[in-house]
Amino acid sequence: MRNNSFFYFLTLNLLKEKRRFVGIVLISTLLIFLLSSVLFISSSIKHTLNQTLIAQPDFIVQNIKGGRVSPIKDEQVDKIVDIFGVKKVTKRVYGRYFFDDKYSALIIGVDFLDEQSNKKLAKIMDSVDLKSFLSKDNMLVGQGVLNYLKSHYYTSNYNFLTPSGQMQKVNIFKALNVKSSLLSNDIIVMPLELAQKVLGLKENELTDIALNVPNDSEWANIKAKLESLNFSTRVVTKKDMKKAYENLFNYKGGLFLVLYLIVIATFSLLLYLRYSLASSLERKEIAILRAVGWSIKDVLKLKFLENIFLVIFAFVLGSSLAYIYVFILGAPLLKDIFLGGANLKQFTTFTPVVDYSVLSTIFIVFAVAFLGSVLIPVWKIAVTEPKEAL
Amino acid sequence: MNELFLNNYVIVYLFSEAVLFLIALYAFFKDISILRFWDFNNFSSKQLKLEKQSYLLSTIATFIFTLKLTLLIYFVYMIDSLSIIIPGAMCGAGVISANSYGMSLLFVKLITIFTFLLFLTLNNLDLKAKNYPLLKFKSWVLLAGLLLIFLETYLDIAYLFNIDLSVPVSCCSALFGNLEGANPLPFGLDIKMLLILYYTLFVSIILSLLLDNKLLTAVTLILFAVISYYAVVYFFGTYIYELPTHKCPFCMMQKEYYYIGYFVWGTLFSALFFGLIWVIIGLLKYESKVLKRITVTSLVLFVSLCSAYVLYYYFKNGVFL
Repeated sequence: MRNNSFFYFLTLNLLKEKRRFVGIVLISTLLIFLLSSVLFISSSIKHTLNQTLIAQPDFIVQNIKGGRVSPIKDEQVDKIVDIFGVKKVTKRVYGRYFFDDKYSALIIGVDFLDEQSNKKLAKIMDSVDLKSFLSKDNMLVGQGVLNYLKSHYYTSNYNFLTPSGQMQKVNIFKALNVKSSLLSNDIIVMPLELAQKVLGLKENELTDIALNVPNDSEWANIKAKLESLNFSTRVVTKKDMKKAYENLFNYKGGLFLVLYLIVIATFSLLLYLRYSLASSLERKEIAILRAVGWSIKDVLKLKFLENIFLVIFAFVLGSSLAYIYVFILGAPLLKDIFLGGANLKQFTTFTPVVDYSVLSTIFIVFAVAFLGSVLIPVWKIAVTEPKEAL
Repeated sequence: MNELFLNNYVIVYLFSEAVLFLIALYAFFKDISILRFWDFNNFSSKQLKLEKQSYLLSTIATFIFTLKLTLLIYFVYMIDSLSIIIPGAMCGAGVISANSYGMSLLFVKLITIFTFLLFLTLNNLDLKAKNYPLLKFKSWVLLAGLLLIFLETYLDIAYLFNIDLSVPVSCCSALFGNLEGANPLPFGLDIKMLLILYYTLFVSIILSLLLDNKLLTAVTLILFAVISYYAVVYFFGTYIYELPTHKCPFCMMQKEYYYIGYFVWGTLFSALFFGLIWVIIGLLKYESKVLKRITVTSLVLFVSLCSAYVLYYYFKNGVFL
């Protein structure tokens, strides 16, 4: 480096004056840790949801009665298949089954002989031996469901209570693998007809119809056609869902960030005061430097690099701690704010995604506030006349 | 309340702009007092104070410049990420044209960065000399830069508050691509003429830099910037996207194209800005080999990057688009 001795002096100074910076670094690290944890959690959930979304069908057609979703007749499927450009029209039957007040699982009915519009589901189906699966009333269960059933001594089958009051006995065929737990932890996959029985639908009734449209410039067109099929039809597109997720997590993260900015502002004020009331010792040091021939510019440079170093140090430390806290320890306490403990009890781990935009967001918020508040006090120290300070 | 203001990027962006605004406001008053009372031959304590203040101003300017540059990149990224929320938008192009303030905001941002870059160069020259020869001039430049920041803050607010999320915006192919046969290029050029101009101007900039001709450099650089904009959007861009109908200056900054857009536009503006600064300080009778070198390097990088995309496509597929 060009002015090696300068950097040598800088690091020497920082190491020697450790105690002076400990307080600032501690608070900074804590602040960065808090912000990064929240942003890491929100971006990790967003990532998982987006991954789920990629596998989702492009369109979902629902039947609306009085503003509520009600079962759709399966003759609609034949009408939809006739529209040009539509692929993989799937009959879907699903709904929540409440085992008790607190625990429920999502039952998904699948027509195993049809092609699947949900890509994740298609993958699951590939790993199942269909012949033995369809020979009896069988179901595939997620890890969370399996644990629940086991803890209630249902090791090989379960008796579902249907809305009409009958019992329906279904065998547990296999557990789904644990990967991406948000998606598959509390689901039960069973044949379509069986799901209809368990959920209390009639034979020609479906929850909704899913379909894909490979050419995405046709989306708006197809949407209009689907909506004109029936007065009570509602069409949900993948883009709508993506936007809804985006807004949901922006809301939670954004609210936090707004409150956080107030904390940052307070911290800046503290920093400003701390640097304005620089100790006479600090002034003396600067005066000595000036007296031995340093220019104001050099002193400013020294002081700034010192602060930039502090910011970067706190940033690296804080965000790595947050990484450990969120992705390795699973963010105890903070997790519930985002997930709402009761709804997604089974949620186990966050997928570690480090989005650089998140990191740069954290850095910008912090660096701007930190450096902005020390700017003027540092200058005031730097321009002190050596004569006055000594 | 608009959903936009809960987006992390928007909050952070507005916060940083607000902090910079406050600092700029402080610097503004200091700068005015320097412009009013500066007199190098005076030995009063006031003059001494002003000299110290000029250090503060240059520190603030460095700070503002660094952050503005970072925030420009951040802004473009933010605009791009907003395209999910805003109906109809598929990339930054749609979002930025959501209302009439967007384009002017981007433009003001670029000029601000140029002004601060000019100030920093002048400041560097000024501090090297013993009697602050450029102080008045650089203070005027700084004043202009600070006023631009005020304008920018106003435009930030006007732009973000006036985005209506219920009204769909156009996507880039509607804005740039599909013009129903109308020629989007200026001066009635066609693509062939555009490319001839592009390469001719490139060579003439290099030549005029070698010949140290200030006026010619300035004229060719500005012309080249305009022509390059069109050439990238309507010709080179299609090779980046590998699609003859995709004409957009923003999409190339997306992940799908490895964020190459930041580099393409970055080198172009770096060549333009450093070239013009070289011209301006040349007119003040200063020479800078470094600036010239940066200009040439960025220019060559820009042109070779654009051309490389075309050549790469040709070697891969055996045809031009």
